[in-house]
Amino acid sequence: MAKAVGIDLGTTNSVIATTEDGHPTVIPNSEGSRTTPSVVAFTEQGERLVGQLARRQAILNPKGTIYSAKRFIGRRYDEVKSEINAVSFDVVAGPDGAVRFNVRGKQHAPEEISALVLRKLADDAGKFLGERVTEAVITVPAYFNDAQRQATRDAGKIAGLEVLRIINEPTAAALAYGLDKGANETVLIFDLGGGTFDVSLLSIGEGVVEVLATAGDGHLGGDDFDRRIVDHIADEFQRDNGIDLRQDPQALQRMFEAAEKAKVELSSVTQTTISLPFVTADATGPKHLNTTLMRSTFEQITGDLIERCTDPVETAMADAKVTANDVDEVILVGGSTRIPAVQALVRRLTAGKDPNMTVNPDEVVALGAAAQAGVIKGEVEDVVLLDVTPLSLGLETLGGVMTKIIERNTTIPARRTEVFSTAEDNQTAVDVVVLQGERERAADNRVLARFRLENIRPAPRGVPQIEVTFDIDANGILHVSARDKDTGAEQKVTISETSNLDQSEIERMIKDAEQHRSEDERLREVIDARNQLDSIAYQVEKRLQELGEGVPAHEKARAEMLVGDARQAIKEEAPVERLRNLAAELQQVFYGLTAATAGAGPSGRGGSGGPGPEGGPGAGGDEDVIDAEFTTDE
Amino acid sequence: MSDMRPEEPKEDETGSATKIAELEDRWKRALADLDNHRKRAARDAERQRFAERARTVAEWLPVVDNLERAIEHGGADCAVLLEGVRAVRDQALELLTRLGFPRQDDVGRPFDPTRHEAVATVPDAEVPEGTVVQVTRPGYGSGDGQLRPAQVVVSKGTQTDGPGS
Repeated sequence: MAKAVGIDLGTTNSVIATTEDGHPTVIPNSEGSRTTPSVVAFTEQGERLVGQLARRQAILNPKGTIYSAKRFIGRRYDEVKSEINAVSFDVVAGPDGAVRFNVRGKQHAPEEISALVLRKLADDAGKFLGERVTEAVITVPAYFNDAQRQATRDAGKIAGLEVLRIINEPTAAALAYGLDKGANETVLIFDLGGGTFDVSLLSIGEGVVEVLATAGDGHLGGDDFDRRIVDHIADEFQRDNGIDLRQDPQALQRMFEAAEKAKVELSSVTQTTISLPFVTADATGPKHLNTTLMRSTFEQITGDLIERCTDPVETAMADAKVTANDVDEVILVGGSTRIPAVQALVRRLTAGKDPNMTVNPDEVVALGAAAQAGVIKGEVEDVVLLDVTPLSLGLETLGGVMTKIIERNTTIPARRTEVFSTAEDNQTAVDVVVLQGERERAADNRVLARFRLENIRPAPRGVPQIEVTFDIDANGILHVSARDKDTGAEQKVTISETSNLDQSEIERMIKDAEQHRSEDERLREVIDARNQLDSIAYQVEKRLQELGEGVPAHEKARAEMLVGDARQAIKEEAPVERLRNLAAELQQVFYGLTAATAGAGPSGRGGSGGPGPEGGPGAGGDEDVIDAEFTTDE
Repeated sequence: MSDMRPEEPKEDETGSATKIAELEDRWKRALADLDNHRKRAARDAERQRFAERARTVAEWLPVVDNLERAIEHGGADCAVLLEGVRAVRDQALELLTRLGFPRQDDVGRPFDPTRHEAVATVPDAEVPEGTVVQVTRPGYGSGDGQLRPAQVVVSKGTQTDGPGS
């Protein structure tokens, strides 16, 4: 089956994403990158290169390397005069005054260039996914007019794609954050990319998205920030050494790479070092560029660039007739919005609102487009909606704790089996208490059912194997069964009310668990330690009995003393440390006893057996565990 | 298929037969999806392991680059020290080779964008146009195992065509 994708066809870079079971994910290209330069080259040998490869040879082929095609698509030659001077290739007027790129006497339409980029994205994605990509949602800036949208659609067609829909970039960003599902909201999208800056104000309500206003700056982006750093460090170097590194192409290249790295680092730390050893040399020997760049300095040298973002935001708000206080949500798009000063500016302009930036700003548009593609495909295709268990399900076990069998958020239908045992010698029945919830203490969770499995054949604790199976069907109905593997006796119960909780109740329970997490963890720790100690004390005691007179008196005395201490510690609810120390000592003693009588009977079992309430978890498994070889504790 | 019973199947029977077929189809698809997912997860894991190794190794490359530069800039007055630095550099290159990213020697080869990134052009009548005449930063690894392409200066015939933007 063909996959539908979402494509962010950008001015400098493009991104492609798809939806897998409702989750949008970005697909890397054949070079392994998640973004692909929107660059196409026609080489002298008649080859066509797209993406990174085209960019690598750009300097050799300035007239045959086409970039920024998005600035030209769907426009007339006389509309793009100002752009023509900014590019190295030849832009000419084609039929009806349309824009054409002239490469070695052959004319190429901007649609054709974009189509080649789209084709590469789709082909690479197809290779990655193992199935052909034939349908796409493509994004365009909100300010694109009909001709530009139509031309983008045509580019898709030329690339052999069925364009499911052309959607606005800010809308896609809002979709990626799931804002279309909310109530009526005014959303500001602040998009500072590699070379363009766009602000959009959207009104979203009941799935209808309306663009209220757009504004921007067609030539402002991350590259400008890099250039400022390069100038700053080059000026400094020139002052100290009298050499202008910008005149040396190799040094300039290294400075640009270092500048970009420094810029990225300054988004997370307040100062960074730029180190370019052997950057140049003069008569006195090699020269090194070594400098520290503070975030404050970076902010100072880029202050005017940041300021240039202010006007478009204010213009857009004025055009949309909204004030900073009317903005409900702010979304950051584009890598440059990672710059703290940019984020501070956005907060300042939106009355201190915290912007949404949990989704990677370089990918958010493509992810939103993919989500849209998924929705469109979902309308025609019969998708099976998979449900999950909202809360964990499990059993009460020794010490009054809950042992989870099915974790919350497990996709259903699901079936899990675990083997438990008894906690007392000659225990003839176990009580199965089925619990729902996230808390560690059984009493803090909801009891769904309880039943009793009887007629267990008398045996030492830890020996009987009780196989407990939790099975939730697709409707959320839970079947719990407990089976004695020795006799085959089985008890079961069906619970249909697992899903009867309303959403607020579920949320309350999860929040509760969150709040009590650390105290719950401590509690769990104590009970586990106590169970473990009890189990090892029991084993030592049993071993002593088995060995009878074979144990040297002093060893026997010590072991008995430790067992006594352990019992006392358990009764007194001693702290975890004490419990663990005793358990470790007993473990030593146990090994000693085993070694002293090599080849002694089966050991190493035991673990936390369970009393009237249940046994400790034994060998688990996600399928039917048939030969539950009995292992110990968790 | 011949049917022994001439009468038409009842409507709800047809309905349930369709339903069964549909469910069976979905079930098989679900199994197939799972199987495909498993295969892809295995592939992905392999790919990610490689990518992570390449990423880590690539982070170290500037150190090797700077060792090269030190050697390049070293004068006669520190020949002994330079010899040691050269040994360190060789050690690094050997390690890179062992990790699957041998250093590429590109001077004299025709420019190839899959292996090279052009950073400048120079007029050069000695070699055919489009030949790599200088490597300013060597490339490591090749093909699918390429860590980074080489940054190169390329011959541009005899005319003096300045580098584009």
